[in-house]
Amino acid sequence: MARSRRHQRSLSASNSDTSASTSPERGVDDDNDSFMLQANDSVSSLAPSISPHSEDDTVRREIEERCRVSPICRLPAELMVSVFAKLSSPGDLKNCMLVSKEWARNSVGLLWHRPQTNKWNSLHNVVQSVRKADSYFDYYNLVKRLNLSTLANEVSDGTLQPLASCKRVERLTLTNCSKITDLSLTQMIEGNRSLLALDVTGLDSLTDKSMVTLANNCIRLQGLNITNCKKLTDDSLELVARSCRHVKRLKFNGCSQLTDRSIMAFAMNCRHILEIDLHGCGLLEDESITALISEGPHLRELRLQHCSLITDNAFLRLPNDKTYDSLRILDLTDCTNLLDAGVAKIVQAAPRLRNLVLAKCRYLTDRAVLAITRLGKNLHYIHLGHCNRITDAGVTQLVKLCNRIRYIDLACCSLLTDNSVHQLATLPKLKRIGLVKCGNITDRSILALAKPKQVGHNGPVAPSSLERVHLSYCTNLSLAGIHALLNNCPRLTHLSLTGVQAFLREDLVVFCREAPIGTSCLAP
Amino acid sequence: MAAASTSAVDPAKKMIMLTTSDNIDIKVEREVAERSILIKNLLEDLGSEGDEPIPIPNVNEAVMKKVLEWCEQHRKDPPATQDDDSDSRKKSTDIDEWDQKFMQVDQEMLFEIILAANYLDIKALLDVGCKTVANMIKGKSPDEIRKTFNIQNDFTPEEEDQIRRENEWAEDR
Repeated sequence: MARSRRHQRSLSASNSDTSASTSPERGVDDDNDSFMLQANDSVSSLAPSISPHSEDDTVRREIEERCRVSPICRLPAELMVSVFAKLSSPGDLKNCMLVSKEWARNSVGLLWHRPQTNKWNSLHNVVQSVRKADSYFDYYNLVKRLNLSTLANEVSDGTLQPLASCKRVERLTLTNCSKITDLSLTQMIEGNRSLLALDVTGLDSLTDKSMVTLANNCIRLQGLNITNCKKLTDDSLELVARSCRHVKRLKFNGCSQLTDRSIMAFAMNCRHILEIDLHGCGLLEDESITALISEGPHLRELRLQHCSLITDNAFLRLPNDKTYDSLRILDLTDCTNLLDAGVAKIVQAAPRLRNLVLAKCRYLTDRAVLAITRLGKNLHYIHLGHCNRITDAGVTQLVKLCNRIRYIDLACCSLLTDNSVHQLATLPKLKRIGLVKCGNITDRSILALAKPKQVGHNGPVAPSSLERVHLSYCTNLSLAGIHALLNNCPRLTHLSLTGVQAFLREDLVVFCREAPIGTSCLAP
Repeated sequence: MAAASTSAVDPAKKMIMLTTSDNIDIKVEREVAERSILIKNLLEDLGSEGDEPIPIPNVNEAVMKKVLEWCEQHRKDPPATQDDDSDSRKKSTDIDEWDQKFMQVDQEMLFEIILAANYLDIKALLDVGCKTVANMIKGKSPDEIRKTFNIQNDFTPEEEDQIRRENEWAEDR
């Protein structure tokens, strides 16, 4: 999500940390601007006072007269652009373009920075203007961001091809435009030296050809999302890794053909990686994971869900004397070969982990949980669902040492009892708790969760901060417990109670929404 | 002696002198003047004394006084952060009440303030100035904009029509 927010960032030239050239291009016929600058710059070295020609005098007087009649003429082009940058509505910018030639020159770059392509008619009009031979401006040079994802089902190669002349596009977003193939994408990328971010999520007919073109052209690339482009292989991605060395954010989810070869290439060539998602890259082995962590000093987020070949060695082989303080998010869901020793090493190597997801790492025991407690206050988010060997002893220690936990999931940890939940209830910042199929827990647990907490030692008593509570299949629960929860948790927005016998009553079932995959919800 | 020791205690309150383009000297507290990055840098370059008047050859007395009025009001503002920037993006033309009143001046003064803020490098004031002008543009037709700012339409009807057609896609969201 942080990503999409970044996409929406300002057009203004002032915050261009990721894109070096967000400021609008100006035409060559900008002489007016330098005139204006000169007229305003009384101290300026631009106007050395060599005996003033009468022509200069005339020009000067003309400018003075113009500024007297219309004071806004005093603002030089750059400041007019700053004014226009405050207009967020394309309609207002279009009206500015129609005011005068000078206004048009100063506003066209902002308007075309990110043309509206969210409706078919708008897109059609944009395409027409871009390809028009005698258009008033060279619009194709002004487009910096192009996003066709809202028309994903309609756009095809025929839509993208005419936009291939836009060689200065910096962000190209084609999420789920699954009719687009190598044909138009390679044309679009060929010759583009400006591309910073490419999102081709779900373009499942793309082949290595597109990625080879990317590698050959877009050496400034920083973000690449090829989620579910299942035909892509190591052959092209290794090339991307070798030429696009500035990449920071990579999402290769579901690219199931990728192996250590390409991921090693990214680890060894690209030292600025902040985020890499490899969900479901099931062929990955330990070597590439070790390299990503040990070679990437800035790596912050590493997601390896369902990379089932990964073992403890991916982490045990990290050097003993180093820590990786940037790493904040690690997701190892369903990496079932992971054992306690691996978790202990992870915690030692990445002491500032904030989110740790170990769901379905089913061989983990309390020993792993005790290791995790070393993360202390840094740990905010922990998922241990289906780690069904965990006991109350582990959870008790975890709560004691990691009291900043906001989110915890212990689904299917069937050994846990009310004792665990009593401890969890003391977490001052807890917002979300998942206890699905913790069959031993009773209303005592729920009453503990509902109880208002004292803030600090002698501090005020505050109501529970819980927002989402998952209790499906906790079959011992009764109405009394849930009542207490509903009455005492003012922020509660989500409560799931699927399969809890006491709630299968007609008068309550009416509050249920359609169950998504195996859960249902009783809204308060 | 006493005066010297107080100024040593609080250099922010020390008075400095600015000389405007029309050769008027204006006395102002250092902290206030230092809202201008240009003046701040000049003072640093000149050394800590700052007894010499600082020439501001691009800004006349009337505009300088107005700018300093703003600086006085905002003397304790924290420096802008990147976050503020992205926040202000959402409601890009929101202006706080005091600033709105401050900006209720004739157009000539408004643009002089913007030019001065740009020259003196006072980002927050430049921002308020640009927002004020943007608010004068918002929601107006091209013709209304021309009237507001007294601008000549130098397009031929054909050119105007062409631009209109080529930018038809740009609608209000």
